[in-house]
Amino acid sequence: MNEAQEILRLDRVRKSFGNVHALRNASMVVREGEVVALLGDNGAGKSTLIKAISGVHPFDGGEIRVRGEKAEIRTARDAMDLGIETIHQDTSLAPDLSIARNLFLGREPVKMPWLGVFAPLDFGALNQAATTLLKRVGISKKLDADVLVNTLSGGERQSIAISRAMQFAAKLIILDEPTNNLGVEETHGVLRFVRDVKAAGHSVLFITHNIHHVFQVADRLVVMRRGEVVAERAVADTDLLSVEALIMGVDVADLAQDGGAH
Amino acid sequence: MKVGGRLLEDEMSVVTEPDVLPRRRWRGIAASPEVASLIILAIVLIGFSLARPAFLSPLNVSNMMAFLPELGIIALGMTLLLTAGEFDLSVGATFALGPVIVMLLAQNGVVDIGTALAIGLLVCIAIGTINGLIVTKIGISSFLVTLSMLMIVRGVALYITQGFPLKAWNEPGVFVTMLAGSFTLGGFRLYTSLWWFIGLTILTAYVLNYSKLGNWISAIGSNRNAAVARGVPADRVKIGLFILTSVLAGLAGMISAFRISNASPVAGTGYELEVIAMVVVGGTALTGGRGTVLGTIIGALMLRAIRNGIVLIGVPGLAFNIFVGAIILVMLIVHATIQKGGGRR
Repeated sequence: MNEAQEILRLDRVRKSFGNVHALRNASMVVREGEVVALLGDNGAGKSTLIKAISGVHPFDGGEIRVRGEKAEIRTARDAMDLGIETIHQDTSLAPDLSIARNLFLGREPVKMPWLGVFAPLDFGALNQAATTLLKRVGISKKLDADVLVNTLSGGERQSIAISRAMQFAAKLIILDEPTNNLGVEETHGVLRFVRDVKAAGHSVLFITHNIHHVFQVADRLVVMRRGEVVAERAVADTDLLSVEALIMGVDVADLAQDGGAH
Repeated sequence: MKVGGRLLEDEMSVVTEPDVLPRRRWRGIAASPEVASLIILAIVLIGFSLARPAFLSPLNVSNMMAFLPELGIIALGMTLLLTAGEFDLSVGATFALGPVIVMLLAQNGVVDIGTALAIGLLVCIAIGTINGLIVTKIGISSFLVTLSMLMIVRGVALYITQGFPLKAWNEPGVFVTMLAGSFTLGGFRLYTSLWWFIGLTILTAYVLNYSKLGNWISAIGSNRNAAVARGVPADRVKIGLFILTSVLAGLAGMISAFRISNASPVAGTGYELEVIAMVVVGGTALTGGRGTVLGTIIGALMLRAIRNGIVLIGVPGLAFNIFVGAIILVMLIVHATIQKGGGRR
């Protein structure tokens, strides 16, 4: 059962906003080198869960274990230091900055580090690393490291955000609806990227509304409903209709009949 | 098939690169907001000097250079603040309150002038801190917070002086020389404030363009959530910039007050808008993310030159604002057009 090492384990984590219990006793596991899809209808608690894991707003209670060790995630920096990189929906890049500056945002290579935040950026290292990275990414067209992000397409932006996560040798890469607002071709580019990420040895947790994508790239799926994890399945052991039934909380037979009636 | 396509694409881009790159780079430079501002500044300067050769006389240039640093120094702080996506309407009031406090304390013999200057700057730090804390921690827009602060600070300046300018300050000393000393350079009478302005400009330009902090400032203004998600302490940076802007406003006020040997509670009225105009005319985006210190310098020069030149060519004083407003509008239209063109590329 526990053949691969556990990268992340959440044990009965909770989160409330005022009277709204966004997460109640949610538990789940992500293992080394696997792609886990997180599914659930709107308001199921998916976003709250990943925002807590990435340190945007911490859990109220419950336990997080990273590689078996108890961990505390209070800030985005905590999560990054634990090897968890998150690509938030539409908010992962600063459009007015160049690709190179975005790739190293928050982790800028500097000369004279004793100057603290006033330390000069090491532009040589910045551009060289960015160029190497972009070459490795190999997206549809050649991109200059000093091109502004606001001139790029949605797919190119996602690819850059994902490569940034890989760059920092993250153990776990979280993708929040990475294919939202993307065209068909760009979506395929991102999905191919997810496979590359897995092949490079990273674990992936990705949130999506599109169940077809789950079957294309995920190894396992976790379904949430009303703030709880209600099911975990190996993708190989289930099918589209069963997954839809799990998300909606209805019986597969009812759903099949309902679908047939239309 | 796919491999072949990829190869062909690579070859094509290699072939076209030497041809395309320089042209694109040239277009990039021509389309940058600083160059557009610079061209318009040149037109303004040439126009005034043709209409009135006295515009370029040493006396007139000296006059312009005496006023330039006082608003320019505030504009430097405002550039960084705007780039981070916030702005500060309380700078004009702080410009008055800073020196009023310094001169009140020093003239009444409460403390010596050095301590008085330090206390004045501490008050400015306090104003900036309050602005920054309310904007970031409570989440009220900087427009409303600093508008209220404008009234509070101006009110304090009026109340503690009972509305009257203070007595003239006629005691020279090392601090007065540092802030408002003057020297002659080849027929031009220049003030030490120009050195402050040049030094602070270099520092600000360095921070914004070359430092780690500058990368954070632009990122926060461009997409705050993205910056926070990368571990950038956005609130701390913004609070720091509010403090910097207040301190620079107070410093500029002190320079001005010592230059004219007088502190007035109504000094700097309306400066907040003129400073913001300088910054956006230079090409910094009012919505954050894109800032240019060079542009701000050009903007400051332009507004000073217009103010001065319009009087010289004999436009009635009361019609002056019509021209300033019209020129600002033209500049903004130019920048917006460039921005659109850049987006389509």
